[in-house]
Amino acid sequence: MVAAVLVLTAVFLLTDPFPYRRPYQAARPVPAWAVDTTPVRTPSLRPEIELAGYTYRCSDCHRLFPSPPETVRSLTQHRHIVLKHGINTRCFNCHHLTNRDVFVDDWGREIPWDRPQLLCAKCHGPVYRDWLNRSHGRTEGHWDERFGALRRRKCIECHDPHQPPFPPMPPALAPDTLRMGDQTSTATHPPGDDPLRLGRKGRDHDAGHHPSGNMP
Amino acid sequence: MNGPDDAGSRRTGPDAAGSAPGLTRRGFLRKGVAAAAGASAVGAALSPLREVDPEDLPTLERFLQRHYKEMTAAEKQAALDRIAREVEERYELRPRVADPPPLDGVEYVYALNITRCIGCRRCVHACVAENNQSRAPEIQYIRVLKMEKGSIDVETSDHHYDPELVPQHESYYMPVQCHQCANPPCVKVCPVEATWQEPDGITVIDYDWCIGCRYCEAACPYWARRFNFAEPAVPADELNTDMSYLSNRPRRKGVMEKCTYCLHRVRRGRMPACVEVCPTGSRKFGNVLDPESEVGYILRHKRVFVFKEDVGTLPRFFYYFDERGSRYHEPVEPVRPGEPA
Repeated sequence: MVAAVLVLTAVFLLTDPFPYRRPYQAARPVPAWAVDTTPVRTPSLRPEIELAGYTYRCSDCHRLFPSPPETVRSLTQHRHIVLKHGINTRCFNCHHLTNRDVFVDDWGREIPWDRPQLLCAKCHGPVYRDWLNRSHGRTEGHWDERFGALRRRKCIECHDPHQPPFPPMPPALAPDTLRMGDQTSTATHPPGDDPLRLGRKGRDHDAGHHPSGNMP
Repeated sequence: MNGPDDAGSRRTGPDAAGSAPGLTRRGFLRKGVAAAAGASAVGAALSPLREVDPEDLPTLERFLQRHYKEMTAAEKQAALDRIAREVEERYELRPRVADPPPLDGVEYVYALNITRCIGCRRCVHACVAENNQSRAPEIQYIRVLKMEKGSIDVETSDHHYDPELVPQHESYYMPVQCHQCANPPCVKVCPVEATWQEPDGITVIDYDWCIGCRYCEAACPYWARRFNFAEPAVPADELNTDMSYLSNRPRRKGVMEKCTYCLHRVRRGRMPACVEVCPTGSRKFGNVLDPESEVGYILRHKRVFVFKEDVGTLPRFFYYFDERGSRYHEPVEPVRPGEPA
């Protein structure tokens, strides 16, 4: 009897009828963009436009064809530009009326094209203050300038000046780590439905949501 | 089972009187078969040992290595050489293994702008690539919690969210990683002093000293420590060869690991990987002892809060807000970096 149990044990151990199953998946490829440090926009910071393989300065055309005076009208050129900048609906709030290679400040003076932060600062004072103090905006390189330079990104390297809110983007891979709870999103169980959280039934946080719906 | 039970007559027969008392043919066979079966069972139970790779066994050199703080400069250099040799044997890459010392007059502090974070999780993956975390099973130092606006309720937060686009309007995102506490509970509970706070405020682990008891994982109120349940798997072509003893050198099965603010980068003046990759610039890092630093400005001028302040850990990681939310606007075109423009 003892020998039979031991033989069965040996057979069980050698044939391994219940093989070990890894509780985790094989490695999933992470797309290169998920670790790319390039900003979402790469503007040239020069008053130039590329047409049919040639690079022109803005003034090359605008010297010959003066723009009509400022009105709210649909564009006849540069028709890919969609202006959604809140109440800032006039081109010449930012672009200089006569010299198209520069921007314009509050007194009609010129702001060079490669210093767009001075233009944005006309309206966005608190953000400009935070940007100057490096609490707003991207920084790359060295926190300690004794070791190397700190690279500051300018406003338009993240924000499209014609549609300035930071754009939505797809999220990178969700985690599939061990011991981090149920591996599915809890989005299907809104916290308001939790009987242990009776005080949380009211969901008035949508009050500030834009009526047109920012996201699907 | 030992044949027909016909031996009963022999036990009292004349032959039995000559042999040793108590030893019969039947008893001998029964015990012999049981012993053979037992031996085969033990052999079968030990059979997984055939799959043990001798390279996985600790070498005498590693076994005799002293605690990081007790090592002399020569011993430390020998340890670094040994790590470089092991990496070279395993990955066929020549790493730079160093042990950069803490900088004088520096205490690192992290600030995270939760008004601007959109929950895109790039920090998570940049961290994994920089710090050589295991890809299978996955180990990630940063968890991005999706939370309901108007609350800081970790119980109902979600880190597995996967919508088509982020941010979602009803949510905000709060990434959590090691807070490098000034009063760290994880250091207090370690029974072998394998983890400690460095002079610049970074809590580190000596991976060669850790016994894998996971007390620190249980003690951490931010769930910032990770355990290697399996042998970590990092593809050789994704290995970061810029390594340091206390941060991103390859770990082994059965040890803890954690965020070190990219110690091998920040002690050479560079920004941590998560700061550089953040597309929104929500992550800020610097020396809090320098009043000119951005973290100094943020702590003095912005509305700052500490996560789980009531547990008394005194984190060196702060969350802050801007004056105004950034998501009250008309819909704009999304950016899809995976697709051609």
